[in-house]
Amino acid sequence: MAKKIVVDPIPRIEGHLRIEAKLNDSNVIEDAFSSGTMWRGIELILRGRDPRDAWAFAERICGVCTTVHALASVRCVEDALGITIPPNARIIRNLMNATQQTQDHLVHFYHLHALDWVDVVSALKADPQLASSIAQSISSWPKSSVGYFKDLQKKLIGFVDSGQLGIFSNGYWGHPAYKLPPEVNLIAVAHYLEALDFQKEIVKIQTIFGGKNPHPNYLVGGMACAIDPNSDTAINIERLAMIKKIIDETNTFIEQVYIPDLIAIAGYYKGWLYGGGLGNFLAYGDFPETSLSDYKTLLWPRGAILNKDLSTVIDVDPREASQITEEVSHSWYTYSKGDSKGLHPWQGETKPNYTGPKPPFEHLDTDKKYSWLKTPRWKNHPMEVGPLARVLVAYAKGDPMIKDTVGMVLSKLQVGPEALFSTLGRTAARGIECLQTAGFMRHFYDQLIANIKTGDYRTFNGERWDPTSWPSECKGFGYTEAPRGALGHWVHIENKSIKEYQIVVPSTWNASPRDGNGNSGAYEAALKGTPMHNPEQPLEIIRTVHSFDPCLACASHVFDMNGNEITSVKIV
Amino acid sequence: MPVAGVGQSRDGHRIFTRNQFFTVTYNRINILGLGNLLYGDEGFGVEAVKAFQSSTDYPDVVQCIDGGTQGIYLLDYIQSCDALLVFDALIPLEYDSGVYVYRNDELPGFIHRKMSSHQMGFSELIGLSRLSDRMPREIALIGIPPRNLELGIGLSPENADLLPEAVEKGKALVDEWLKMMQ
Repeated sequence: MAKKIVVDPIPRIEGHLRIEAKLNDSNVIEDAFSSGTMWRGIELILRGRDPRDAWAFAERICGVCTTVHALASVRCVEDALGITIPPNARIIRNLMNATQQTQDHLVHFYHLHALDWVDVVSALKADPQLASSIAQSISSWPKSSVGYFKDLQKKLIGFVDSGQLGIFSNGYWGHPAYKLPPEVNLIAVAHYLEALDFQKEIVKIQTIFGGKNPHPNYLVGGMACAIDPNSDTAINIERLAMIKKIIDETNTFIEQVYIPDLIAIAGYYKGWLYGGGLGNFLAYGDFPETSLSDYKTLLWPRGAILNKDLSTVIDVDPREASQITEEVSHSWYTYSKGDSKGLHPWQGETKPNYTGPKPPFEHLDTDKKYSWLKTPRWKNHPMEVGPLARVLVAYAKGDPMIKDTVGMVLSKLQVGPEALFSTLGRTAARGIECLQTAGFMRHFYDQLIANIKTGDYRTFNGERWDPTSWPSECKGFGYTEAPRGALGHWVHIENKSIKEYQIVVPSTWNASPRDGNGNSGAYEAALKGTPMHNPEQPLEIIRTVHSFDPCLACASHVFDMNGNEITSVKIV
Repeated sequence: MPVAGVGQSRDGHRIFTRNQFFTVTYNRINILGLGNLLYGDEGFGVEAVKAFQSSTDYPDVVQCIDGGTQGIYLLDYIQSCDALLVFDALIPLEYDSGVYVYRNDELPGFIHRKMSSHQMGFSELIGLSRLSDRMPREIALIGIPPRNLELGIGLSPENADLLPEAVEKGKALVDEWLKMMQ
């Protein structure tokens, strides 16, 4: 008799994601369904507002990635109004975006995903002497003495003995899917704590440029910060030096801690290459070297890959009505011209129509509508977005830097590029991307300094700030590559205010339900075929879903109004 | 009162002067507002920190932060101060309407009955800060149970009426902490 297990909620960050998996008699996942169980409707809040204010509301959509929505929003409105921004503004936005991506990947790896691979309790049994020699063999990172690991282990034991396992209390410790020796677990826990401290530093770049954090200031037409090397209040020599220091430390941490840990951990899991999924990948690209519309200059390139075919990267145009569409055959919405007809976001509709069971419920009727997420498709294909998509598009396009980095990681692991089509590959791609993007931070910093040295202090173009200079009607598209993947905002402005606003977030691509043709979304496809050791402890499901870095706060809101759990299996 | 930022000087010191990885803390009080402004009373914490900031005139040791629904990214604001006051919408175990104040050890018991995942995030932050020995000496949570969580900006009239009381309770705590620090 086939079993069905339900995992809800999955993300460690925010939001409600529910996974229903059907297992065969050997406990292999035969089919899986991904559902966002809370309604979203942020777009409705933007209707009728001044488009220059949209970013400040968009910034609140996601609990965590505030800056990416602000960025996509100002880009979208600038696109609609035909505004070009000064070079400093472009570079500062790139730097802030690279900062966000780097910090987010670091936090994802250590604080959201590592514990799917690292057994904290096993670290208590580690030999500090051996841990120290392993740490020294994989990296020149200085915090690797025997005493360091001994102290840490003592602290950890004290913490556990006092009954404060706390954040670690719900783990599946001892599960046979954990493969690391105790010493590697101890190293990983040490770096879990070091990364926790370090990530606090990286984000200060946002505060310097954005004036404040976690909700930095953006501005339609440029950036709100002033540049003046000799002023006390502007971006001055001292603040620039601070940014440089943070960028250098970030690169060091990623090179000496993140990447060696990734390789060391992955080395023990080469036999667990499940979770590849769709094999279709989409990237809008980001980090423009000139203007955003000249997408050939994007440092992370744009393109699509189908069926794992790395020999062909297909051009993508998110403005094209037939390319990006959202349909609602399996989503709790209704469309005026039929639920299975995909609509381009410029024609998008947001009309909720909940037909699911009244909570609390046992199972969703997955033959019908079963999610609050819409179903985005690219030329009718379900697509995976995120670090793996970006890395593969750049790799398949022959980007020399990414080929080097990917090659380095693959050769250290002694696996071929096909290993990238897996849960582990997704996790490795995030590290590869983090290393690359941290390098971009240096590049953008140098660009900024060079531009300031020419005497160009401009950060804002106010030519079309005044609404009387706007056309009576216009449409715009703004995009960015958020840490979790391709993010698009589409706006329709009429009579100086927002008529329609549509957002397609990365987690909607990855966590989407089936489409009208029965094609699974990325999570659903990735889970199929995965063997589970014990369905009561769905570590394998969590591992794969976490590898996408789900952030359902973007895709649907977070609130559990009754405090009730609809959970059959609770997740750490 | 400035919003916490990098490089703002206070008493001749840099707030974020630090060793390689450790934020050096001074006598600092952080006021942190949590919640999502887009969902009615869920935005209480953010509204409260704004009201607190505009109705008080504390020295720069008191920093107000609009934390939104950020999880782990708020860690620095918890760990970089000696005393932390959090405003947030909350559901106590048994409640009526009103302003609730929880201090120090009263906090975890409450937070474990989570009502939204950003609080789950907050309780994790407390756990992580304990593990790293980086807890503020004093911590307090002031909250109001939400009435309306529908999509829309602005508190319900009932909760908006309670806002001044919440701010006053916050001021009383901050006054007490400032005395302790002298």
